[in-house]
Amino acid sequence: MMRVLVADDEAPARGKLQRWLKEQSDIEVVAEAEDGLSAAEAIERLHPDVAFLDIQMPGLSGLEVAAQLEPEAAPLIVFVTAFDEHAIKAFELNAIDYLLKPYDKDRLLKTLARLRVRPADASARAAVTTARAQTQSQERLLVPVGETLQLIDSTTIEWLEASDNYVHVHTAARSYILRRTLQDLLEQLGDRQFARIHKSAAVNIAAVKAFTPLFKGDYEVQLRNGKLLRLSRRFKDQLFGRMGR
Amino acid sequence: MAVAHLDVPASRHAPGRRWLSQPSLALLFLWVMFWLLLMAVGVQDYYRSGGTHWWQPVLWEGSSLAVATVWLVVQRRADRHYAVYIDQPLRWLAHHMKWFPLIVLTFVPAVYAIRHGVYALAGVTYRHESWSYVFVYESVKLVMFFGLWLGLIFGFDAYARSQEQRQRLLALQKSLAEAQLAHLKAQLRPHFFFNALNTISALMQVDVPRADRLLSRLADLLRATLQWGDKELTSLREELRMLELYAQIMQERFADRVSLTWTVDPAVLAGSVPALLLQPLLENAFKHGVERSRGAVRIDVEARREGDLLHIVIRNSGSVLAADPQEGVGLRNCRERLNVLYGEAGSLRLAQLADAVEASVTLPWQEHRA
Repeated sequence: MMRVLVADDEAPARGKLQRWLKEQSDIEVVAEAEDGLSAAEAIERLHPDVAFLDIQMPGLSGLEVAAQLEPEAAPLIVFVTAFDEHAIKAFELNAIDYLLKPYDKDRLLKTLARLRVRPADASARAAVTTARAQTQSQERLLVPVGETLQLIDSTTIEWLEASDNYVHVHTAARSYILRRTLQDLLEQLGDRQFARIHKSAAVNIAAVKAFTPLFKGDYEVQLRNGKLLRLSRRFKDQLFGRMGR
Repeated sequence: MAVAHLDVPASRHAPGRRWLSQPSLALLFLWVMFWLLLMAVGVQDYYRSGGTHWWQPVLWEGSSLAVATVWLVVQRRADRHYAVYIDQPLRWLAHHMKWFPLIVLTFVPAVYAIRHGVYALAGVTYRHESWSYVFVYESVKLVMFFGLWLGLIFGFDAYARSQEQRQRLLALQKSLAEAQLAHLKAQLRPHFFFNALNTISALMQVDVPRADRLLSRLADLLRATLQWGDKELTSLREELRMLELYAQIMQERFADRVSLTWTVDPAVLAGSVPALLLQPLLENAFKHGVERSRGAVRIDVEARREGDLLHIVIRNSGSVLAADPQEGVGLRNCRERLNVLYGEAGSLRLAQLADAVEASVTLPWQEHRA
């Protein structure tokens, strides 16, 4: 059984896709979303196998939703759009599934046939990385707040702390727990703003106040909020190089 | 096309506007050659008739040259006052001819004063015919001289003027073509059309008559778009009908998220407005209001007349005006067209209200004549 999410802000468009999907015996539509944020929430909550994401949606576009997903855990993504020359070029280049509105049933069936035989991991990764390249995914981060998701400005993040399969995102106001790897989070946020200081920690460069040498080439990093962190020598040169020291 | 209304400022590099532009330089060259010729002839004639002081013919011609040059400079300076008449040669000539008596009255005394002065400095007396003879003789010469040079100057000015007009026309054509292209691009709105087609494709699975109605509305809208360019102005009635077509299609797509109210005084329907001027404004209301917000959005369209002015307002909730609004093609085009058609009297203003963004168009009231 293929569990599918349909996200489109236009009711008629959702209706059309759903009707055709429901005719398929091996497909179950597990959720419908009317905007990007609820689509992301539904993906987080229900872990569908496939997500049909309309690109043009209020709040968070379909591309932005995909950009915020952890590639390893992401569903197979089919982007749906009426007209988006730029994104379509990128989809073609990276062999990512997409539907052009208006599409007919045959076209949808072709897509479904491909989804049934596709190895999930590689194509999900391609969709997420392409979506990241197409959006400013390093500027905003989707974080869980209770049962819902919320977008925070990535400049408000002071540091990131990994533990097991989670990352604690610390801002001045509060901390959030994401089920992501630190590696992937840094990939999304980009290395212009954030730097790894330790196997399990990274800092926002703008939040760093001072360095104090410790023994054996390690350093202590002091953040503007007073927090002390350890900078291991493995990441020292890289960080100092970036900070112009 | 409203070319007659257009008043594009002349390009700063237009020929004939700068002091000593290329035509003026050519004129100066001709002037110098002309006087050198006169001087050479004068000196030759002087020696042939037994003269021995070469400076005398040089002085005669030189004094005339000096005074005539003063007048030429004055003419070049004052030239632009008469530039408006360059398309009517007789009026241009008449306006110059009115100065002729003054030129004669100043030319003869000035030239003869110089000659007498220089002769006196050389300790010689300057002898010439009686003053009445001199006046008549010099006036006749001046008429011919004046006629010749006025003709030349007219030729130069007319040439410069035609060059300038050509440049302006080119600039105008370029900006018009750009505006049309931008308009066409904005009007083709692939996003809108493909989404509308998708809505129809969805509707026809469940409600064929409704899908059919929507399809014909889309066709009407496309037809109106393609007809743009045939007519610059249309009636507000026609313009509002296009807005309604567009709104109906959009409401079909976003039925649950948008409500529209139309507050239009029936008396203003006959008013004249630029064709498809309001469309981009309503599109913006949908694009920034409806398509980008999750809640329900209200759109108000209002039209009323206040004295000699027609006010049209399109207001939408659910969006915030950017602090530094990067105006899109639609808004820029709208502004340009208002400016071209009505100058200062036409305006487009965007305002942030408490809970809505408002675009208001003001233009002079005119009844539309089909």
